[in-house]
Amino acid sequence: MEKLVVSVNGIPEQGGVEATSVQKLEPAPQKRKAGASSGSPLRKFATHIAPPLIVLILFLGFWELAIRLADVKPYLFPKPSDIVKAAAENGHNLLVSVRTTIVEAVLGFAFSVILGVAFAIVLALSKTVERSVYPYAIILQTIPIVAVAPIIVIWFGAGMNAIVMIAFLIAFFPILSNTLIGLNSTEANMKNLFYLYNATKWQTIWKLRIPAALPYILAGMKISCSLSVVGAIVGEYIAGIGGLQGGLGYAITVASTRLQTAYLFACGLSAAVMGIVFFLLINALSNRLLRSWHDSAING
Amino acid sequence: MNSTMLAGSSPGMPAPSGEPSGILVGMQNIGKTYPNGTIAVQNVNLLAGEREFLCFVGPSGCGKSTIFNMIAGLTDHTSGELAVLGTTPKDARKQNEIAFVFQEHTLLPWSKLIDNVTMPLTLRGVSKKERIQEGERVLELVGLKDYMKVLPRQLSGGMKMRVSIARALISRPKLLLMDEPFGALDEITRQTLQDELLNIWCSDRKMTVLFITHNVFEAVYLSTRVVVMTPRPGKVADIVDIEAPFPRTDDFRSSPEFGGYVHAVNESLKH
Ligand SMILES: Nc1ncnc2c1ncn2[C@@H]1O[C@H](COP(=O)(O)OP(=O)(O)OP(=O)(O)O)[C@@H](O)[C@H]1O
Ligand SMILES: [Mg+2]
Repeated sequence: MEKLVVSVNGIPEQGGVEATSVQKLEPAPQKRKAGASSGSPLRKFATHIAPPLIVLILFLGFWELAIRLADVKPYLFPKPSDIVKAAAENGHNLLVSVRTTIVEAVLGFAFSVILGVAFAIVLALSKTVERSVYPYAIILQTIPIVAVAPIIVIWFGAGMNAIVMIAFLIAFFPILSNTLIGLNSTEANMKNLFYLYNATKWQTIWKLRIPAALPYILAGMKISCSLSVVGAIVGEYIAGIGGLQGGLGYAITVASTRLQTAYLFACGLSAAVMGIVFFLLINALSNRLLRSWHDSAING
Repeated sequence: MNSTMLAGSSPGMPAPSGEPSGILVGMQNIGKTYPNGTIAVQNVNLLAGEREFLCFVGPSGCGKSTIFNMIAGLTDHTSGELAVLGTTPKDARKQNEIAFVFQEHTLLPWSKLIDNVTMPLTLRGVSKKERIQEGERVLELVGLKDYMKVLPRQLSGGMKMRVSIARALISRPKLLLMDEPFGALDEITRQTLQDELLNIWCSDRKMTVLFITHNVFEAVYLSTRVVVMTPRPGKVADIVDIEAPFPRTDDFRSSPEFGGYVHAVNESLKH
């Protein structure tokens, strides 16, 4: 899990060229949707939606058939039909777990965006502050969240607060570093122009540097939104509240101790779907905000 | 201070206007050495008077942009005396009488044209009503009034440059600095924009334009005087007065007189 965080952060750190990292992050279906907007819906379905759908159906069919033929016990390796059945039987619990995790992830993500952007602005306002503080931000971010989590539980108490805090911590850094890169990459000529027209520091920040950093901020948000789901589930493992209010992470631990493997699969898939939906939402937001003027959204 | 400083004779002395208030930019023995040791310009003497159109030509790297940056207060000169609008460049900037056009259009990609051209007024806190009024005026000047609500990316390079010029004109500047504004445009667009710029400038002749170009034809066509610079470290090699009357047209471009001026500038460049 930590490796994931580090490598994902590596993209904006090394690259600096945000357009490519945005492109890389774009999920294939979304990208194609934008590109084929001129074609007819039927044609779009045939060329862009049908092929992956066929692959999915083939994959599920093969999975179902192979397990059925080999007669593997469901608690070792459930078939798709077992998973659907388990999800349906525990439908209510699953829904509650999903809802809890969504709330935690969204809260953690929201805090990471607000504080990440705000902190980046503070750093960008002064080179001296940036130079003296940013290295520590990098060091802090390399400390594995799993190692920090118990301390967070001690400080915030087991439960919602600690989980949101963990989701926040995991999602915070990509936003911070991306925003900072964005704020610092304003074209020199543009900055000169603002200077020549006697713009104040705040005017330069609000009217030039933040809008210019928006593509970077959104790229950071695309990384962080999925991470916040991961963070919430990790938080639930460590600081999870049990009983009826438990999130997906808690449900997964319970399912695994009871060998309810099919339900465990259902929880895991729900988490994955949640991450994807979250990403697609942010991606749609990004395309909407940048649509008219930024290359990543126009050519994407 | 500058009146005494500017009293001395200099190669850039304009036609006898006499009055110190008629001088917008005065440079005496200006030198600029960058921190890395590059001597960009040395001993530059030049006066730019009211209502002038001064073109700067010279080999690449001879310090033309450096001179503009010093006038604009973007970088400090390291020797000599420089007066802009009768004061230091940094104070002159505060008077909102100076405008700039760069080779790149430097438009905000997320702002509509009207918001782009009124940006200097917005930064100064001018009321919205007045901003819109002035914005419409300058967009009309450059023939883009119908594009007020359009974003820059929907425009061609020439149109973007027009918007950039409109933005510079919005505060009715006394001094307009243009650093190779038409450098990236094709020849036909370039000539159209030259004519438009001259028309705007001629219509009231209230502003002084300092204009950098690599194109000798452009320099001769546009200016009242052409400042020819030497290779780095840049000095003023020669100043060629272009005495042809305004308004100028294509007839001037094809006249023998024009050829003579071009020849004179080219000779000074070889020098
Ligand atoms: N910030 C800087 N630091 C160090 N040297 C610089 C800097 N800016 C310009 N120079 C050097 O000063 C010299 C003059 O540069 P300048 O940009 O003024 O030339 P120029 O006449 O505008 O050239 P061009 O026609 O190619 O635009 C060049 O040799 C350049 O390398
Ligand atoms: Mg230059």
